[in-house]
Amino acid sequence: MIPVSYFFGLSLLLFALGIIAFFIKRDLITMFMAVEVMLNAANLAFISLAKASGSLSGQVIVFFIITVAAAEAAIGLAIILLVFRQKKTIKVEEFRLMKG
Amino acid sequence: MIEIFLVFVVFGLLGLVLIFMNRFLGPSRSNPNKEKPFECGSPYLQKDINPFPIKFYLVAFLFLLFDIEVAFFFPWALVFKEMKVTALVVMAAYLSVLVIGFVYAWKKGAFEWE
Amino acid sequence: MNNLAALSPLLCVVLGALLVLLLEVLFNKENKSYLGYVSLAFLAGGAALCVRSWNKLYSFFNGTLILDNLALFFFLLFSLAGAFIILLSLKYISDQEANHGELYSLLLLALSGMMIMVSSPDLLVIFLGLEVLSVSCYALAGLKRKDEKSAEAALKYFLLGSFASAFLVLGLALLYGAAHSMVISGIIEYFQAGTASKTMGLIGLGLVIVGFAFKIALVPFHMWTPDVYEGAPTPMTAFFSVAPKSAGFAVLLRIFLDFWGASAETEFVFWALWVLSVLTMVVGNLIALRQTNVKRILAYSSIAHAGYMLVAVLAGDQSSLVFYLTAYLFMNVGAFAALIGMSKKGKEYNELEDFAGIGFKYPWIGGTFAVFLISLAGFPPTAGFLAKFYVFSAAVRVGLVPLVVIGVLASLISVFYYLRIVVAMYMREPSPDREVTIDQENPALFLVLFLCLYGVLQLGIFPGNILTIIRMAVSFL
Repeated sequence: MIPVSYFFGLSLLLFALGIIAFFIKRDLITMFMAVEVMLNAANLAFISLAKASGSLSGQVIVFFIITVAAAEAAIGLAIILLVFRQKKTIKVEEFRLMKG
Repeated sequence: MIEIFLVFVVFGLLGLVLIFMNRFLGPSRSNPNKEKPFECGSPYLQKDINPFPIKFYLVAFLFLLFDIEVAFFFPWALVFKEMKVTALVVMAAYLSVLVIGFVYAWKKGAFEWE
Repeated sequence: MNNLAALSPLLCVVLGALLVLLLEVLFNKENKSYLGYVSLAFLAGGAALCVRSWNKLYSFFNGTLILDNLALFFFLLFSLAGAFIILLSLKYISDQEANHGELYSLLLLALSGMMIMVSSPDLLVIFLGLEVLSVSCYALAGLKRKDEKSAEAALKYFLLGSFASAFLVLGLALLYGAAHSMVISGIIEYFQAGTASKTMGLIGLGLVIVGFAFKIALVPFHMWTPDVYEGAPTPMTAFFSVAPKSAGFAVLLRIFLDFWGASAETEFVFWALWVLSVLTMVVGNLIALRQTNVKRILAYSSIAHAGYMLVAVLAGDQSSLVFYLTAYLFMNVGAFAALIGMSKKGKEYNELEDFAGIGFKYPWIGGTFAVFLISLAGFPPTAGFLAKFYVFSAAVRVGLVPLVVIGVLASLISVFYYLRIVVAMYMREPSPDREVTIDQENPALFLVLFLCLYGVLQLGIFPGNILTIIRMAVSFL
């Protein structure tokens, strides 16, 4: 049996990887995927902490967060599609119309 | 416990070593023909992989949304027996919101392929 | 009291959103501004239901939705903001070629998200409300589909907003793991009780604060704000600068109400927020000095105002914070309304040079804009002055003198850039190569300008009534 703390550690590791990927990757889809990794890492943290404290509510919360992540994914992909249609690129450097 | 961890470490490192061993040990002799996407000798017909038509993305979003919403049916089905009519009313309200979203997508032409 | 009536204002707004969405697709009429009036009717209905629930303390879903007077006051404030934004959009949207039905529907959904945020003591439900709000806002920012700036604004808002949400979720997870509760009172009990190590809870709370700081644009989490505000359609910018901020501060107010002074850990959080507040006031105002685009100036000004509001949170004074939010609603929406007035079909005038000589050429827009700017700068006899006065005097009363000194100095800096716009409007000759003609046929806009002017002066000169209501609202907590 793998102790719960391992899952918690894994979730923190995943979250950190998500942050790193968000900052070093320069194309929108990958940045967006990094955010999704972070959200799911947080979900894993919720589940492992709920398991550790022996209550079910943490797992119920995850249901809601998954739904929120799906809604965000849909709107995010739609926005990325919109900018792709306009500029024909998803490189983040190309989006510099406003500055200052 | 520590054994499992060690196994992961050892095999992880082994994997890394194997991946990079190729690059270090293998000879690297390149020529223009080798750099082509297909090394089969005959000229290729198109240059890159074509991007998917945008229509697929639209269907994918809609699928994503309506698919995830169904996740809420499972806990509902578990408590349905205890909650009786309340459960039905709640699910009816929930579904009607989804149906309105569906009607909106339909009327906006999101399901039309051409 | 557990009662279905607790849901009624919220249901009214959500039903309005769904109905508008259906009407938009089912009836393909040429002129769709009637949808705006439909949404206004639903907002008014929701507001009426709020007034009916005053002092009743309805609750629903086992207390995860509680309509106390503070929540109701915020409901009314949001409905008013929503109504202003709808009125401002009526003409703007058809001039700038954006979609009608989606706008009103998304706006109502965003409002319902804010209502959920302010009426729940449960952090999970607050998070869900925040996400309803955020997701609608991402779409609202990109409403001008053919405009590249608008799409870019939506993109930046979405990327940084969802990045912040991820932090918020991890923070909630850690708080949940530490306190075994998602209810605010439970979390506060956890911080006050016992001697066990609270590191995990503190990190969780820190991450939650970071998430909220992103949403209410505190320095150093403000990077998205100016770009999003500049690129988004102007009525939506007005909405972003007022509504999510009020909802975020309402939540902070609830979290930190009984929080200060409980233990050594809370002291730490206090100083973290103190630093955020100072940074927000100083940096927001300093960067605003360099801007030449009026929309961006107003964006930085709204960042700086979040800093003043944070002073009220630190002072633990609810009524001054609520008063500040009310005053800020009127003056900021008013300023943006004047900015929206500076447009004609397919063209917007946002640069500072465009404002040269406007004060005499278009006296109504110029005059009201000047009043709102003066109020934002904090001169008497306007609402902005009294709001700052209440916040700072509350802070002095609890001994936060250094913070108040910095705040006053920062607002002195702000006077410069607000007055720069006023000076441009009244004391500079318009350059001949930049001809500015605007379309004045917009009665809804003038109604909003007038109502905001009334609000700013009423709150600035006779604040008695509204203060009584605010005291009733917060004493109920």
